Amino acid sequence: MRLALAIAAFVILIIHGLVFYDQFFHKWESYQTAYFDQARALAKTDTERAAVSGRKPRIEQTIVTTFGENRVDRCLTCHIGSDDPRFKEHAQPLRSHPFSEALGDRLLNGKWERRHKFSDFGCTVCHDGQGRGLETFYAHGEDHYWNDPLLGYVTQHDWRAEFKDKLKSTEFMQANCAQCHTEENFKSTPLVAQGRQLFFRKNCYGCHRIEGLSSGTLGPDLSEVGKKFKLDYLWESIVDPRANSKTSVMPQFKLSEAEIRALVTFLKSRRGINYSETSLDRYRATLAGKSTVGKVAQPGQPGAAATSVATASSVVATVPTAALGEKLINDKSCLACHKLGNQDGGVAPDLSFAGLVRDEQWFMEHFRDPRARVADSIMPSFGFPETDFLSITAYLKSLTTPPPFTSPAEFFKGTCARCHGEKGDGKGAIAVYLEPYPRDLTKAGFMNSKSDERLITSIKEGVAGTSMAPWGHVLNDEQVRSLLAYIRQTYVKDKQRPLKERDVPNTNPIAMSAESVTRGDQIFQQRCTGCHGKKADGKGPNSLDILPRPRNLHNADFLNATTDRRLFESILYGVQGTAMPPWVDYGLTKNDVGNLVNYLRSLNQNAQTTKTGNKH
Amino acid sequence: MAVGKPAKHAVEELTEGQQNRRRMLAWLSSVGLFGSAIISAISNLVFIKPRATYGAPNRFGIGKPDDFPSGTRIALGEHRVCIVREGDKLCAISTTCTHLGCIIAPSETGFACPCHGSRFDQDGNVTGGPAPKPLPWYALSLAPNGELEVDKGTEVGAGTYLKV
Repeated sequence: MRLALAIAAFVILIIHGLVFYDQFFHKWESYQTAYFDQARALAKTDTERAAVSGRKPRIEQTIVTTFGENRVDRCLTCHIGSDDPRFKEHAQPLRSHPFSEALGDRLLNGKWERRHKFSDFGCTVCHDGQGRGLETFYAHGEDHYWNDPLLGYVTQHDWRAEFKDKLKSTEFMQANCAQCHTEENFKSTPLVAQGRQLFFRKNCYGCHRIEGLSSGTLGPDLSEVGKKFKLDYLWESIVDPRANSKTSVMPQFKLSEAEIRALVTFLKSRRGINYSETSLDRYRATLAGKSTVGKVAQPGQPGAAATSVATASSVVATVPTAALGEKLINDKSCLACHKLGNQDGGVAPDLSFAGLVRDEQWFMEHFRDPRARVADSIMPSFGFPETDFLSITAYLKSLTTPPPFTSPAEFFKGTCARCHGEKGDGKGAIAVYLEPYPRDLTKAGFMNSKSDERLITSIKEGVAGTSMAPWGHVLNDEQVRSLLAYIRQTYVKDKQRPLKERDVPNTNPIAMSAESVTRGDQIFQQRCTGCHGKKADGKGPNSLDILPRPRNLHNADFLNATTDRRLFESILYGVQGTAMPPWVDYGLTKNDVGNLVNYLRSLNQNAQTTKTGNKH
Repeated sequence: MAVGKPAKHAVEELTEGQQNRRRMLAWLSSVGLFGSAIISAISNLVFIKPRATYGAPNRFGIGKPDDFPSGTRIALGEHRVCIVREGDKLCAISTTCTHLGCIIAPSETGFACPCHGSRFDQDGNVTGGPAPKPLPWYALSLAPNGELEVDKGTEVGAGTYLKV
């Protein structure tokens, strides 16, 4: 008992002692003591000596009230020699902060004068880190995923090795300067300015949103990207978009190292806030509907587009010409996604024969609203001025050299394989970016259930509402026939069987009426939503497990180009080679299907009037 | 009937070794508890005052000595301190009235409080009014970056000047 008491008493004493020691003997105190000692030794005059002699270690803190929210910085507690020019060569943490013209420091009578006084600006506004922390771990942020990493060594030492030497601290510090100096061409942040230009010139704005700058919705919002990610991550994401997200649809832009460096620095500067604004300023800006972060207008909005984008690409023109279109296609990174001649972005359809397969109207509608003709296209809406669109259209229309048709095999390899795949299995290089997915030509069930006429029509006239272009302008009838024969022979393994004669009406026997549409809607909700989705957009709960994916029934171009007969056949007898079952086996009558067809037509009725697709 | 063992300690004489052991244990326990108590008491006394607060800092730079030409008496409103320079001698005198804490202004004869009429001479000594004490002088030093630094946490005797 007594022994236990003695031991407990001693344990308590030791714990108390440790706490006491921990709270009284800090590292920063020894730094300060060292500083005072050395400053005293360095002192040349009595005044200098007197200035140091009275001082004892204590927490040095700066409270910055001038810029936005108050910031508390205790960095000077350890870095106490920051403003002492005598400690220029000293080891950290006592080394004095360098002076530089780039920071606005001035040399007056042989003495440097700071532009950004530490007492006014603090340290973390430029360097990041946690201003209140008094230990390296808390102040610098050793954590790999620290929200506000220090820009210096602490984050750089564990960067991906291949990026380490590509970014020098003085360069990426510009990202932090730009948080207050938001002027577009601030002379001390050339990389940020260059990155901002690239953001527009390379059409990043088409997919990405940055508050106050752009309004793209396809890619991630980049308004706060600088706060969330480290520099090497940003670099990696630009160099190899699929490094971090396997399903990324971002194309690989062919950027030089200098361009990537500028973009990364620009992106790092996007933190969603601007220290030089008060929270009141920001509130007013949101009320006014626009942020004051950048002075560039929203490119997505009409009118504004002409100013920001045209200036960004430094192409200002009033007369649309094909030559200008060619320049635009090259300047504006269309080829980051599309293929044209030898250049291939590997994401979007081939433009090499665009002039043969699409007409002016198609191009213009496509540019103004990429989803106007291909309902699920991933092409971003670029807010170029109308003259740019006309120029690009003129240029694309001039591309009328057809691909050589030496043999069906050659033609397939050069033209079809990019979407339908070398093996014809629909897994071409760009297939994943196309919606709907290219047809799998090896599926005998599908291929053998369709007549040659039907497939020839698809090749010749294309499939409206999809990326399948009308190749009839490139190939003559004989060539189309031999191409289909080649496909059947090479890719469809099973032998073609004679088609079953099916009892389907040529036109819908049920007249279009509100009542019929309601009945069709009811049947649709009961039978079809599992795959086609409640909204009939093809995104039902089962859709992810199915290839080819269920049709998006809001694809007006497709539906309007599809005959009643084909819809009846697809619904009643299913689509072989896909998950669409023959509903005649599940008790659907012709009348039911008639109501369904009316319902589907009613979904796309509004679009029907504006479109010029070939009708049934 | 069960026969219980007699309680041992009641009859047993402690040997000298056992006595020493007990004394030793008692000593150790008391040192442990007493030591902890002392450390706790000291810690409490020390930590009762925060090491850092979020108010205006006590020690602040006010600019280069050249900003204060000889003969000037410049009151720095936000810091509540008046910088006086005579020749190469500088000092910092508080501008908070020792009466009720009003902000006083430099006058021709020294300092004057606008609220209750306290008067001070050039050195901050009371010459009239309700103020009970002279104005404190604060330590003034030359920071390594060439700026003057006032430390309101350290009072110095009247007549202590910084030579530049």
